[in-house]
Amino acid sequence: MRIDRRTAIAGTILLSVSLALGAPLAPTRAQGKPIRIGEINSYSGVATVFTFPYKEGLAMATKEINDAGGVLGRPLEFIHRDDKLKPDEAVKAARELVLQEKVDFLAGCITSAVGLAISAYAKDAKVLYFATHCQTSRLTWDEGHRYVAHTTNNVNQYARVVAKKAAAFPYKKWAHISPDYEYGQNLWEEFWAYLKHLKPDVQVVQQNWPKLGETDHSSYITALLQSGAEAFFSGLWGAQEIAFVKQARPFALVEKVHYFTPAIGTPDELDPLGKEAPVGAITTTFPWYDEGVLKRHPKFTEWNKKYTEWAKAHGMKDPQPKLGASWGYASAYIIAEAIKRAKSTDTDKVIAVLSEGFEMEFPWGKVIMRGCDQQAIAPQFGGVVKMGKEGKPIVADIEEFHGKDIVKSCDEVAKLRAAAAEKKK
Amino acid sequence: MDFITSLFPWITNGPLVLVQVMSGLSVGMFLFLVSVGMSLIFGVTRIVNLAHGSFYMVSAYLMVTLIEVMPEHPVSFWIALLLAPVGVGILGGVIEVTLLRRIYRRDPMMQLILTFGLILVIGTLVLLVWGPDNKSVPRPDALAGSVRIFGQPFPSYYLLVLGLSPLVAVGLWLLFYRTRWGMLVRAATVDREMLGALGVDVSKLYTEVFVFGSWLAGLGGALAAPTVAVALGMDGDVLINAFVVVVIGGLGSFAGSLISALLVGELQSFGILIFPAVSIVLLFAIMAVVLIVRPWGLLGHPEE
Repeated sequence: MRIDRRTAIAGTILLSVSLALGAPLAPTRAQGKPIRIGEINSYSGVATVFTFPYKEGLAMATKEINDAGGVLGRPLEFIHRDDKLKPDEAVKAARELVLQEKVDFLAGCITSAVGLAISAYAKDAKVLYFATHCQTSRLTWDEGHRYVAHTTNNVNQYARVVAKKAAAFPYKKWAHISPDYEYGQNLWEEFWAYLKHLKPDVQVVQQNWPKLGETDHSSYITALLQSGAEAFFSGLWGAQEIAFVKQARPFALVEKVHYFTPAIGTPDELDPLGKEAPVGAITTTFPWYDEGVLKRHPKFTEWNKKYTEWAKAHGMKDPQPKLGASWGYASAYIIAEAIKRAKSTDTDKVIAVLSEGFEMEFPWGKVIMRGCDQQAIAPQFGGVVKMGKEGKPIVADIEEFHGKDIVKSCDEVAKLRAAAAEKKK
Repeated sequence: MDFITSLFPWITNGPLVLVQVMSGLSVGMFLFLVSVGMSLIFGVTRIVNLAHGSFYMVSAYLMVTLIEVMPEHPVSFWIALLLAPVGVGILGGVIEVTLLRRIYRRDPMMQLILTFGLILVIGTLVLLVWGPDNKSVPRPDALAGSVRIFGQPFPSYYLLVLGLSPLVAVGLWLLFYRTRWGMLVRAATVDREMLGALGVDVSKLYTEVFVFGSWLAGLGGALAAPTVAVALGMDGDVLINAFVVVVIGGLGSFAGSLISALLVGELQSFGILIFPAVSIVLLFAIMAVVLIVRPWGLLGHPEE
């Protein structure tokens, strides 16, 4: 686009007039050159059930931050790219964002494979990358380095909440069903190691490893029923877990073998199941509807209302608050806070802030950005699936945990990193 | 024998073995329904229709909508089950007439690119129309529970699938071997030029076959809807299964689809009892073995 002199002069006059007029109207509006963040995520296909609400949460937070004066007086701007769930696409997008769009930072990821791929690129290119949505603990632990930070909880915290709940029951014989890939294996290992630590007398009597996206689980369900297990853990998630629950229902599996799963409690899974929800299952949730939680966190109610209005205005078919939305929202604020504390967008200065760590209050509780691994340690909510009003299932008897009480310590993380480095040799 | 029972303690558990057989059968029957249409379309038009899984997905979404708009009544489910596949059949017809018709004479790569493009287009349209959220179709109350077979619970809904699939298989056989239309379709798989020379409107026949194949995909999707989450990504999961079944059975062979679907269902069912981590490779391992022994599939014909 070429700009001739006349346009430039007219533009300058217009701009000065509007600044002069606009200044008293919006005294705190962020001005100046935007801080640009390249955000890579999956905005087509399977993952959209999580990424659409996430993106709205992120956009809502960005608008709030900018309306309040931005960061260092500059507006925050996210430039989105779709990775189509492919690590190579994600790295291509990251390269384009850094080299051509000249973004200051990278952010995003829904699948662990994509997160690890962007993280490896960030390390080479010496660009700071905020992983916002994928959950593998290898990101900041085994494969961790100074150029990656993780703004949402990881598999370790998520699995340990369920394990902590499981340890309160007298079950000794356990089975599990987990999708056979990075996340499923990681989740099961984390759960089992912690349960074994809390209750040394537990044993695995049977394992099921369906492939990711398996459509029919009948054979696994009959095998589970015959295994003699008193309880089982499920690492399934999303559409696959819904399918599993629907297929298990006629076998009365959940009534016979107690069901423990981190994922089923999220509204994305529970709402579609409706009357077919697995009542009695022990799970984690994003408890935006729970009266007790709302009482303890007074700002939560207001946030729910704000998000619902925002989602409606932005054409979301289901405007209810979602876990993904809270993650997008928190991520934008954490990134802004890190830059604010660094008083600069310089990569090394922001990393210095992250490696010191800081805490932030959110409507649902305190999020700690831990310094040693630049990993978010977040509030966790565990409970039991019950049938609410009008056949709408909910997670009730919510117990609040905080990641800081269960997550692996900095020493353990250092050991993981050392072991991973040893392997590479 | 003691050695075997020590390895596989479930072998002596008769009821478990029988239920695993039944559950393998129902898995196999689902696979047959989703793959037979793909095989039929290939047999006649020589197009590997990658959008077959997309038709399956659209049918499941149509079930969601139809059940939402109809009053809560036991009969609604059955009406939806009739209508959804018909809707998908019409969609298939429109796609055949407007797009596929232009590429029959092109090289197979072009056809793959076009039907692959259809996956993306249909996937995006589904996202725009129905949104990203997971959806669910409840089972009809009459089939929500389970029946006892040899003292073991078996989902009643699968009895519907186990009952319908053989009917579809028999219906297909009658259609292809006892009607004039079926004879023309079979002739088209052998020598379409000659068929055209004899005065048969081949392009009309192709459209009819494509509509029928899409309807079969729709029937699979509509029947599967209550047993899974209706969600984006169904298309890919089903496409891979259907494609592998078709390849094992032999492209263009109906009996091959049936045998291969049942084989895969049963091997899957027992494979996981013997070796839980097997399921991820099992399907492809069977395919590899079959292709090494018979590159054209169990009942396929080698290309001249």
